[in-house]
Amino acid sequence: MAGKGMGIKVLVSMIGLDSHTTGAKVVSSLLRDAGFEVVYLGINQTPAMIVNAAIDEDVDVIGISCHASNFSLIEELLDLVKKRGLTDVPVVCGGNIPPKQIADLAANGVAKVFPPGTSGDAIIEYLAANARRAKAADGEQPARDQPGRVR
Amino acid sequence: MKYTTDYGYEVKPVYGPADVQGLDYARDLGDPGQFPYTRGYYPNGYRSRMWTRRMTAGLRSSKDANAVLKKYRAMGQTGGMCVIHDRPSSSCIDADHPRAHGENGVLGWPGSSLLEFEELMEDIPLTGQSITLLGCCAPSALRLAYVVALAEKRGEDLSQVHGSVTESPFSNVFGQTDVQPFDLNMKLFLDASEYIVRSRIRMRAGLVGQHFQESGGNNAQALAIELSMLKEICGRLVSERGLDFDDVMRLPYQLVSVGTRFFEEIAKVRALRRMWARMAREHFGAKSEKSCQLLIAVHTSGRTMTYQQPLNNIVRCAIQTLAGAVAGCTAIDNAALDNAYAEPSPLAARMSLNTQHIVAVESGVADVVDPLAGSFFVERLTNEVEEAAYRILEEIDALGGLVAAIEKDRIEAMMEEESSIKFREVRNGERLIVGVNHLAVPPEEEMFEIPVQESGAGDSEAIARRMAQWKRNRDLAPIKASLQRLHADARKGDRFNLMPAIIDAVKVYATAGEIVGVIRMARGLHYDPFGTIECPYGLG
Repeated sequence: MAGKGMGIKVLVSMIGLDSHTTGAKVVSSLLRDAGFEVVYLGINQTPAMIVNAAIDEDVDVIGISCHASNFSLIEELLDLVKKRGLTDVPVVCGGNIPPKQIADLAANGVAKVFPPGTSGDAIIEYLAANARRAKAADGEQPARDQPGRVR
Repeated sequence: MKYTTDYGYEVKPVYGPADVQGLDYARDLGDPGQFPYTRGYYPNGYRSRMWTRRMTAGLRSSKDANAVLKKYRAMGQTGGMCVIHDRPSSSCIDADHPRAHGENGVLGWPGSSLLEFEELMEDIPLTGQSITLLGCCAPSALRLAYVVALAEKRGEDLSQVHGSVTESPFSNVFGQTDVQPFDLNMKLFLDASEYIVRSRIRMRAGLVGQHFQESGGNNAQALAIELSMLKEICGRLVSERGLDFDDVMRLPYQLVSVGTRFFEEIAKVRALRRMWARMAREHFGAKSEKSCQLLIAVHTSGRTMTYQQPLNNIVRCAIQTLAGAVAGCTAIDNAALDNAYAEPSPLAARMSLNTQHIVAVESGVADVVDPLAGSFFVERLTNEVEEAAYRILEEIDALGGLVAAIEKDRIEAMMEEESSIKFREVRNGERLIVGVNHLAVPPEEEMFEIPVQESGAGDSEAIARRMAQWKRNRDLAPIKASLQRLHADARKGDRFNLMPAIIDAVKVYATAGEIVGVIRMARGLHYDPFGTIECPYGLG
């Protein structure tokens, strides 16, 4: 899997007050090992802080780790992503997410949910194929030259 | 498959007398009730006192949590109640704080004022059962104040209230993070502890080794961490607060995680009793036998509860409950079959409590004290985990104790290394988990869909609005006066006990955010841990 993530920048973040960081840290290190550039924001991030960081860092995908809660904050994040014009940056989620919420999140625009049991390889494969710059490389969408900062 | 203990010692196919050579019954085990208490504290074990069988509650509003507590009582949970805070109140911010948005009553109880505690406890007795409140160290002093204030309001004798509402500052440095700084947490915990000891209140303080183990630590590391927590906390209460060690030891209980490796879990708890008894006598010079008897509660392991095929978790929970019961403990609260999904559904809660009742009354394990004593294997495991733990304890001591070791990032590093070993072992198939890396089935072949409890987020804004509205309608003069006094007291140095001022402020309905905010200001910190709201009372 090494090298699969070359040239792709991933933002990994917790959302709200959730501080169960083990999953986010494990996934971040898996992605780094696969060649992705990872920006790990850590705990206590609001939807606005996450979107601002995504713009400032010009990332290609936003990954949110959550522990059985904070689904309403993820929906707010999705709204903001749309409002701020980041429609080409997919939002993915991982963690202890019940099946009903997986369906709800998908319906609201989360590109992919990785529940427990997902292999590291499956996450790497998905991001390598679907992150913004990966798609751009396939000629689907151009990468932004400048971060589109909207405040 | 790997034949090793979870801390990496070889497990042989068979054990015999040679494995326990040198074991001296009187010195190393003793009868139940005899030093070093390897076999427990009571000659008649559970016949004298059955362990408290409880479930952790807390979801949505205080009124909702109150209804759940009443339901649990109807399910046979009469020995004690256990409630956990939601994230805003764990962080000591109020429900109307911007960062509490979407978080109030989610996975816990929104307990940021006496008003909420009064609603939580409506028509529920404060005495005759143990009162346990969990969720971070920072609100510990507030929770103690809630109990003191409510007992006074109800005209109940405070000396009749028992349980545990305080949690050591080590609770949230492993795997989870606390928004309040460690030194503030330590100060408030020592204040609450000193107040409990000096006022001779029958409340215990939780030293939660469970979090360390649930975040990836192994059995030997967990033992070492648990003992070094005790050493650090008891040491500070003696040296910094001038308390007598034998008085201090009325305070702590250790919350231990018990997983599925049946014999190892039992050996760990037996070793903990023996190691503590020796530390109490040799290190602290205990004069009373009671001080050598560490109170141990068990939490069955949430991290072993799988997302895949969740009904399998009932079986895991039963094995763990059996291990906790055989090991000997004062209380068990169980992880539930839907632990990887949400807060327990009513079905999961009933299954969990019934698991305990079945073990307690049907299996016969509660009839005989320490039934595995003398087993070549279990005695060998007890010696081994003790030996491995002593080695780690020596390393922590050499670094200057647990606080110093944490500051040097050594504990975090130990935990992360261990959890990556575990992750690798599961990935390589050296450790098998049914439904995860062994006999897994695709999601569409799951044969039973469990009911999943909603997270409670839908009620968050209602809880926030209620808090904001209620804040406006309070009698502000006594709140302001009590906060001024608290602010002044908080500037008198770390050893000046803030409990009396906190109790006064709680009684007039100052909130968690206000009380801890004012203490923060007196310590030169911003009123708000997130730096977004200002103190409304103009202290400075």
